[in-house]
Formats: sequence, structure tokens, C-alpha cells
Amino acid sequence: MIKAVDITHKYNNDLALNRVNLEIKKGEFVSIIGESGSGKSTLLSILSTLLKPSEGDVIFNDTNYKEIENIDTFRQTNIGFIFQFHYLINYLNVKDNLKIANEKVSEEEINTLLEKLDIQELVNKYPSEISGGQRQRVAIARAMMNKPTVIFADEPTGNLDSKNSLKVFELFKKLSNEGTIIIVATHDLKLAALADTIYEVKDGQL
Amino acid sequence: MLSNAIKALKANALKTTLIYFSLIFSIVSIFLISAISSGIISMYSSMLKSDGDIIITQAKISDTFFSNVDINLINKIDRLNGVKESSAMIVGASPVEKLPIVAVYGVTKNRLKNYKLIKNNYPKQNEALVGEAIYTNLKNKNSISIANKDFKISGVFTSDVGFENGSVVINIDEAGKIFNKSASMIMVNSDLNANIELLIKNIKSLDTNIDAKSTDNFVDNYNQFKIIKTSSNVISLIAFAMGLLGIVSIMSITINQRKSEFGIKRALGISMKKIIYSIMFESLILGCLSFVSAFLLSEFALYLIKHSSHLQGYVNGEITFSLALSIFLTSISMAVIGAIIPAFNAAQTDPVSLIQGNRI
Repeated sequence: MIKAVDITHKYNNDLALNRVNLEIKKGEFVSIIGESGSGKSTLLSILSTLLKPSEGDVIFNDTNYKEIENIDTFRQTNIGFIFQFHYLINYLNVKDNLKIANEKVSEEEINTLLEKLDIQELVNKYPSEISGGQRQRVAIARAMMNKPTVIFADEPTGNLDSKNSLKVFELFKKLSNEGTIIIVATHDLKLAALADTIYEVKDGQL
Repeated sequence: MLSNAIKALKANALKTTLIYFSLIFSIVSIFLISAISSGIISMYSSMLKSDGDIIITQAKISDTFFSNVDINLINKIDRLNGVKESSAMIVGASPVEKLPIVAVYGVTKNRLKNYKLIKNNYPKQNEALVGEAIYTNLKNKNSISIANKDFKISGVFTSDVGFENGSVVINIDEAGKIFNKSASMIMVNSDLNANIELLIKNIKSLDTNIDAKSTDNFVDNYNQFKIIKTSSNVISLIAFAMGLLGIVSIMSITINQRKSEFGIKRALGISMKKIIYSIMFESLILGCLSFVSAFLLSEFALYLIKHSSHLQGYVNGEITFSLALSIFLTSISMAVIGAIIPAFNAAQTDPVSLIQGNRI
């Protein structure tokens, strides 16, 4: 469970978020919509520990982010990220890209995960050898490597066609049904509608 | 880790090559300047140490080239207790045929035995003994001219010391006339159980214009060696700094281009420490590879220098194990220190830039 309590964030003197409160339950699929500059990326950054809010608290399964001693370990264990750009490392093949997130993972676990995402045949391919949709699926696989409690996705379909975009959202739905919290920031209202809950951020407020 | 580091280096082939060459040039420079300077010092030290426990030069004259001591002191020195034998030498230089500068040693007869003959005889009056390296370069193998005076070549000698192998040896009285001095230095061989310190004291008491030192002490305090060592250290330091700057600048460009890689790693919870280690490991691999390449290149360059007839064997360098080890450690330090700043920059890549949709 993730709970944001009175989150306010300022960049210098510019207010990006103003007293935001929200609560996301286990296995919930949440879409955050809003125009560019509305504050949705700031909210995503704060909820995912990448940014400390100017004021307010974020509580993750009874743990306040402020009390976490090793944020890197916390992030590696509990959080998965998917970005608009896949950010796969070009000189590593799919298997090695996945191992970036968890170098101790076995070949079997990698194969199981790739099978689940229907991209098992890509295991030894390099990012330059696969399509945009496939790259984003590999990025999703990388986000899932540590079996995170929550996956944050920032405009994950920004570079995909509608067919591949739908596939990605269907995958998110499947993952949330399995108990993973999915929080997606998107511009696409049709895709956002596939989520259990939709939040709109406008002028820094939810 | 090794596999990924090699893949990362290969993926940035141009910049990796630039860092590799930058390191090689620096390490080769350090190798050559250190090997050659220590080679020159070692050659001259060996020459001075070859027969003599005590070296006598003119007092308050810092270079043997300018020293002038009275050769007649030999007779007084030989009478001192603990002295086995003493010899004198004039150190000079002169052009010979097309060679612009050739070392000329004027020596007393008892010192001639130090030169290992490989052809004919030791020199008598108006004769010169020539080193093997000079002899092979001479057009006229029968006589040479030193300071407008012709000398018949009496024989050829060989020596492991480049300064000797590329030199001409004549009798000291003839050298004295050419260079207008009595002797540059006197070398004293002591008895096996002689008290060197006492002997030095007794020698000094013979003439206030002389300075006497044990050979080791003389070599350790010889000004020319200090100048060579200091110059070598300064040039090595500059080469080190140049190599370091090369790594820092090229590595920084590489890191800047790989920012999204480090950003995603940070977002995935990879610690800053781990990112720093991974970059430094890449640099370490380059450091090791560059060292091996530079070592081979330096050995080849030293071989060419050693066998260059233009240098007459005067410039000689040897890479000893301790020199190789110290340069290996220097190379590693260069690679590691050079990677520190870029590695820290990489580790501090803000993953928020990724989540904000910026393609960094």
C-alpha cells in the first residue's frame, strides 16, 4: 500500500504539487493523467523515492520514506521503473540488460519472465535487433526482475503504436491482477481508462 | 563484471581507443625517460665503480669534466697504508670523423687493463684504443684525429658500459696536453681490510685542493646524476599529468554519452558505489592493457636506441623489474585517478531526469 499525505513540492519558488493526498492499495492499477507541466511526473518521482517532497510524507506498507536508511536497496527490492524511452543498454543483450536489475538472477528465472511477456525468443538479441514494442516489453521485464511491489511507468507507450500500446496496458492489467501495484502516468485517456483508478493532476493538485 | 566492462569498452570503441593511446603515450614516455636516465646513471656509476674504492677530484668542482687534480699525487697516495693501487683518468670529449662528440679517456697505464681487448694491442705514445661502437662507425680504421692530433689505432676494446664502448682511450699525458689538465680524477684501490674513512682522511691531508669520497658516496652525491634524476622525474610527472588529463577528458565525454545508462541504473536501485566501481574497473582494464602495450613498445624503442649508430651507445636504457613494477603501479594509479571524477559524475546522474521524460 502506498499513501501520500499532504505532499507539497516546490522547484525553487515554483509550486509543482500542492497538498496532494492519495492512497493506492495492493494490486491496484492507477492511471495518472494531466497536461505537460501539471505535476504528474513530480508526483511519480516522489511516490517512487526518486525525489524528496518539500513537505508531506509518503508511506509504503507502514514505512515512511523518511525513515528508510538505504534508499537504493529499498528501490531495488520494492520498485520497478518503466520510462517513455526503453533505456536498454545497447551493448548488452536482452539477458544482460535484465541482469542489470538483478545480477544474481538465474537463467531459468529470466526465461520464465520472458515467456510470461511472450518475448522468450529475444533472450540473446541486442536492443538494436528488436522492434520498439519488443524493447518496451524487455523494459517491462527489467522492471519486474526483482518482483517489485509497485511498478511506476512514465508515458510507457509514448513511442509505441496503438496496437503495441494496448498490449503493454493489457500486460499491466495482468500484473495488477497478480498483486503488483501499477502506477502509470499517461496522456492517452483511452489507455488510462483501462486502469482501476484514474487521477488527474491539474496545477499541482489532484 | 569483467564481461560487461569489456562490452562497455568495445561499445565506445573510438573513445576507448583514444584513452588507450593517451595512456600508452604517457606510459611509454615515463618508461623511456626513466629507463634512459637510470641507464645513463648506471653506465657512469659502473664505470666509476669498476676499479676504485675512493675517487679523488678537485675540491669544490661539481663535475668531473671540469675537475683538475695533480697526477703526481698518485705517488704520495700509493705510499699510504691501505692503498693497493691508484690510477688517474682525464675525461674529455672531441669530434671524431663525422661523429660530433666522442668521449675521450686519457688513462694511466695501470688502468688500461680495464678495457677488454678484442683486437690488437693497448695504445703506446701517439696511439689510441677505440671502443667497438666507435670502431664500427669509423671510415678510416687505421687512425683517428683528436683535437687536430692524429693517433694510430692500436686496438679495439669492448665494454658493456655504453660510455666506454663508444669512446677513445689514449695515454693520460697526451690527453693532458689536449685538454690542458693533469688529471680529472684519481681512483684509489684499497686493500681488502683497509679502513676507507681513515684512508680518505689521509688522502685529503695530502692536498687542500682535492676532495676524496668513497665511490658509493661519490656516485650518490654526484650532481650530474641528481640533475638527470630530477629532470627524469619532472618529465615523468608531466607525462603522468598529460595521461591523467587525457583520461579525465575523454572519460568525461564517454560518461556524458552514457548518462541514460547510469540514470536507469540509479533508478533501478544500483548504488552509487557500484556504479563508481564499474567505471573505475573499466579504466583499470584499460590501464593494464595500456601498460602491457607500452612495456612492449618501450622495449622495442630501447632496442632501436641501443643499436642506433648515431647515438654511439651513449644512450642506453634498461627496464628493470623494479622500474616495470613502479611504472605498472603508476599506470594503474593514472587509470584509477583519471576515472574518479567521471565515475562520480556518472554515479550522481539524477534518475528524475529519466522519469521527467528527458532523453539524457
